[in-house]
Amino acid sequence: MSNTTDENIKTDLSVSQFKVAEPHHLSKKAAWLRKYYFKGYDREWNNEYAPFTTGIPNDRIWSEGDYYIVPEVYGFIGINGKGLYCLSLDLMAEKVDLPSGFWELSLPERRMTFFREVMLNYVPQEIISSNDLLAGGRFNIQLSKCFTEAQLKAHEKQNIKNRHRILHFHQEGFGNVGATGGHLIPDYKTVIERGFRYLYEKAKKSYDNLTEKEKKGPKGAELRAMITACQIPRDLAAKYADECLRLKDLTDSAERREELQKMADNLRKVPWEPAQTFWEALQSLWLTHMLVMAEESYPGPGTSFGRLDQYLWPFYKRDVIEKRNISRDFAKDLFSSFIFHANTAYDAQIRIGKQGISAGFGQLMTLSGMGPNGEDLTNELTYMILEVFDEWAPILEPKPNIRLHRNSPEKLLDVIVDMITRAQGAPFILNFDERSMAGMILEGVPPEDAWDYACVGCLENTMCGNDRSGTVNCNPNLAKSIELTLWNGKNQPGFKRIIGNDMFKQAKPGTQFGPKTGNPETFTSWEEFFNAWKKQMAFIIKHTVETYNVFEATRAKYYPTPYLSTIVDGCIENATDIRVGPPKYGFVTIEGVAFATTVDSLLAIKYWVYDQKKYKISEIKDALLHDFQGKREYQIMQALMKNKTPKYGNNDPESDALAKEVMQFWAEECWKYQTPTGYQFRPGMLSWNYWAGEDAAFTPATPDGRNAGTFLSNAICPSNGADKNGPTSVTNSVGIALGGKTSEDTYVNVLPNGASHTITFNPSLLRDKEHRDKFKAYIRGYVENGGTALQINILDSLMLKDAQKHPENYGNLLVRVTGYNAYFTSIGKELQDEIIARESHNW
Amino acid sequence: MITSTDPPSSDLSSIKQFSEKKAYIFEIQRLSTEDGPGIRTTVFFKKCPLKCKWCHNPESIEFQKAIQWFENKCIGCEQCIEQCSTHSLSFSETGLVINRKTCSACGDCAEICPTTALKVSGEWITLNNLINEVLKDKTYYSTSNGGVTCSGGEPTQQIEFLSKFLQECKKNGIHTALDTCGYATVDTYSKILPYVDLILYDIKEIDPQRHKEYTGVSNQKILQNLEWLAEKIRAGASFKLWIRTPIIPQFTARDENIKGIARFIHDKLGDTVERWDLLAFNNMAQAKYERLNIDWPLRTQPLMTKDEMNHFLQIAYNVGVKQVQWDGPTKI
Repeated sequence: MSNTTDENIKTDLSVSQFKVAEPHHLSKKAAWLRKYYFKGYDREWNNEYAPFTTGIPNDRIWSEGDYYIVPEVYGFIGINGKGLYCLSLDLMAEKVDLPSGFWELSLPERRMTFFREVMLNYVPQEIISSNDLLAGGRFNIQLSKCFTEAQLKAHEKQNIKNRHRILHFHQEGFGNVGATGGHLIPDYKTVIERGFRYLYEKAKKSYDNLTEKEKKGPKGAELRAMITACQIPRDLAAKYADECLRLKDLTDSAERREELQKMADNLRKVPWEPAQTFWEALQSLWLTHMLVMAEESYPGPGTSFGRLDQYLWPFYKRDVIEKRNISRDFAKDLFSSFIFHANTAYDAQIRIGKQGISAGFGQLMTLSGMGPNGEDLTNELTYMILEVFDEWAPILEPKPNIRLHRNSPEKLLDVIVDMITRAQGAPFILNFDERSMAGMILEGVPPEDAWDYACVGCLENTMCGNDRSGTVNCNPNLAKSIELTLWNGKNQPGFKRIIGNDMFKQAKPGTQFGPKTGNPETFTSWEEFFNAWKKQMAFIIKHTVETYNVFEATRAKYYPTPYLSTIVDGCIENATDIRVGPPKYGFVTIEGVAFATTVDSLLAIKYWVYDQKKYKISEIKDALLHDFQGKREYQIMQALMKNKTPKYGNNDPESDALAKEVMQFWAEECWKYQTPTGYQFRPGMLSWNYWAGEDAAFTPATPDGRNAGTFLSNAICPSNGADKNGPTSVTNSVGIALGGKTSEDTYVNVLPNGASHTITFNPSLLRDKEHRDKFKAYIRGYVENGGTALQINILDSLMLKDAQKHPENYGNLLVRVTGYNAYFTSIGKELQDEIIARESHNW
Repeated sequence: MITSTDPPSSDLSSIKQFSEKKAYIFEIQRLSTEDGPGIRTTVFFKKCPLKCKWCHNPESIEFQKAIQWFENKCIGCEQCIEQCSTHSLSFSETGLVINRKTCSACGDCAEICPTTALKVSGEWITLNNLINEVLKDKTYYSTSNGGVTCSGGEPTQQIEFLSKFLQECKKNGIHTALDTCGYATVDTYSKILPYVDLILYDIKEIDPQRHKEYTGVSNQKILQNLEWLAEKIRAGASFKLWIRTPIIPQFTARDENIKGIARFIHDKLGDTVERWDLLAFNNMAQAKYERLNIDWPLRTQPLMTKDEMNHFLQIAYNVGVKQVQWDGPTKI
């Protein structure tokens, strides 16, 4: 008595009640902190942007290059002068009294001197509440770039050039690129275990080893800046310790007095000295981390914690399990403070909208995963962290990425499925070790080290403590290759953007961008067409790299980050700032956008023009020019393209083979290039929200039947509605596109960065234990057949439509966008519609 | 449902009867979670000897292809009307009208339809292609202790193919389940029992008279077969037996029916039944009936309530059947 599925039928399954996840079982301290956090701008304390200037005329504070990868802000960066963001920071900026001799210092030394002044003497050291157990409040500062007047002049000239270059690149439909901050895992493990004193001594030793000539040059300058940098956390911690003792004197509660004394003791010790307790380790971690965000003047852009449950485990084990110095509940309270502080990154924009939260920043913590011999490393701290996070949920930061593999324990999967069942957007991303590690090995990590990778930003795989992989810096629109191929290297004549940002003029239609690969109307075979496409695709990658490299060079020259450099392994040894040259592993990731749109367009052309011979290229171009509108023939063609054409995502061997070929081709192109700073380009697929936003607006109709200006495909997912055979089929297709497995059952992954894969399930699929067990088995199947990272939405489209109508009832509704969770009611209408339009797979 | 591995449909379209070489199916459902243990691929075979008034797959009953029109997918291009050789299609104010009397169900309209707004249920698939299709999810069968379920319609109607297919599944190490209405001969079942790991066996109605009224046939043979299967298990056969009872308002959702079935299971089948599922009526077939222009007696029927389902469960339990459970949609 089975039912065949029927997507058009509404049912009122009892499990589809519109219940949104809520916090639960919070301790008194945690409940207070959570409530206080969500008071947002009504709080008496917040962590909103505070800009600081050296006081030179027209000082440069805001680094717009950090935001070139966010096309939504282009309207605020200005065209030929300073835009709204920059000017408002300039107006607000507080002048810092500069120590004597400041202007005689090198740029990195000035930066560290200024940073030190600001953090110690201008930003107040505050303990936020008697419910808070960690020090480290304000870090959303905007630091002057500390340019001399001559540097400022040269910089501003370069800046305008760069700005115009990105605006062109973007409005010509190629996507976006920019050298942004964060997106790495600093070597927090070493700071916790050995303290900044160790790094300080290492930097000094490195400096002593320089020749006298080197000491006078950039290496010497950088190391002197690093030596200053290493002491900032110590001196800041000491000030926080003073504040703890001051508060202690004002406090009656014996319990709180004891806590404040302990906090002061901790801060006298860490992060300068090695941590010895769980509390010290967390304090060391938080202060070290917030200073990274402060120095880069960009809150939490993927600045991630790495394998938190691994490097904190010895401390937790000793204090909570073996010696029982602190109770498990107290350890949970400590972690609650950590969660609270991590979320105050969003205070940066606290005046915009409810809680100042519009999207996700991505301070990731990677949990569980395998050890060097394939053994599972889940421990009691893993479960404790997940438990606290679940009690706080829905909450954004720090975002958990849970690493799964063949030996992941059943208990962990039970916890995961339980959390998914109660959430809407799963409160974590699942990362898959075997597939991910194959990518790390591909990029040159020795196979015996690859097990110790972790995630940054959203889901991007990097190594821990010694790797910067620039994981959101390049986001080319791969679907542009279809347009260029069809029009012999030109953008589509007569194309008028329908939606999108109107601040800037669109590139003139019919302009030659790519190579002249011939008018495809004259092509006689699919091979000929595909070869032309390859040339255009290769051009797009080259164009992306060349554009990006200008920004990378500017960043290297003008915006050093010596503090961050001290805590990424390799920088002290090389006496080189992380923005000037790579640490041990250095990559810039090209995150291909609109993969499925590209593949499906190629499939459509292959199928209808060369296999079925129903349409000529000229007819397809004609229909695209008219956006499939105005004539019955166009409409019929579009319907055929959409509905009766092979598509990626259906586990169909032929379509998947082409997807794999497209993947391998564009990925291979990425490896051909390096930055002027010596970073190697590598491929990945993240595509943030570009596919639903600006990239989509700039892309004319495509041969897969997609209308101009509508959503492109998301990361490695099939195009919306293209996959007809359900989640196992899509999962298999994703795994195959990434390279599948060899005949010896070895995983292949041509995208070392990893690829974002989102699947939405209907809540009824998790209705009882039997079905949850099936869901667990599906996840285990994903380990075998799927991609590197999976995010799960458990959503009922009826609920989302209700949330659009009654946002007031859904303040807590978190949904996964691509690699990050966002509050549904706070994201744009287009993105909301996109999420509703995603096929909800009904088992 | 067109699978990529299928040869063009014209190769098979001339076939007019069942054989061991090809199956006549109307759907393949991957990641199926309602038809046996674990994650499964369910193959829906066309044609059924029963005509249950509540049938959820009305397109499965007859050998003839069934054509459905999906209004929301139609772009109104009217190519189907131009294509129809029997002139059975026309547009009215309410949409596409299919004259079922003149329609020969040839499927040409669905073939030309660019949007899949016209769907034909019923297509031939070769053994090789079907095996390739079900092998795609073998990984998930392993992780979930799942496998393949043959459902319908009534799969035993195509016994020659079914037997080959099940053998082939076993050769590939795939767990097999047969979802059957029980209306076949003992000889038929004998042909496939060695290759079946699980039988999902329907007992819809215990009263033979009502059974005939509701389904078109008496339940006598169905119950006899069941006793025969139970005997096989007692004699050491390795397949498992799950009983399924659709709980249909106006029809099977009666205390005395559940009690009667429970007594039959308890007295005649006993421990040979591993599990008994009471499956709450769902209204998902309503739209299908409309599209097939069939008046469904359950058209406006509300769903069961949780209390009602628990009540039936209690009845079964009171008779002494402990391996019973219920599932399905209920009123909120």
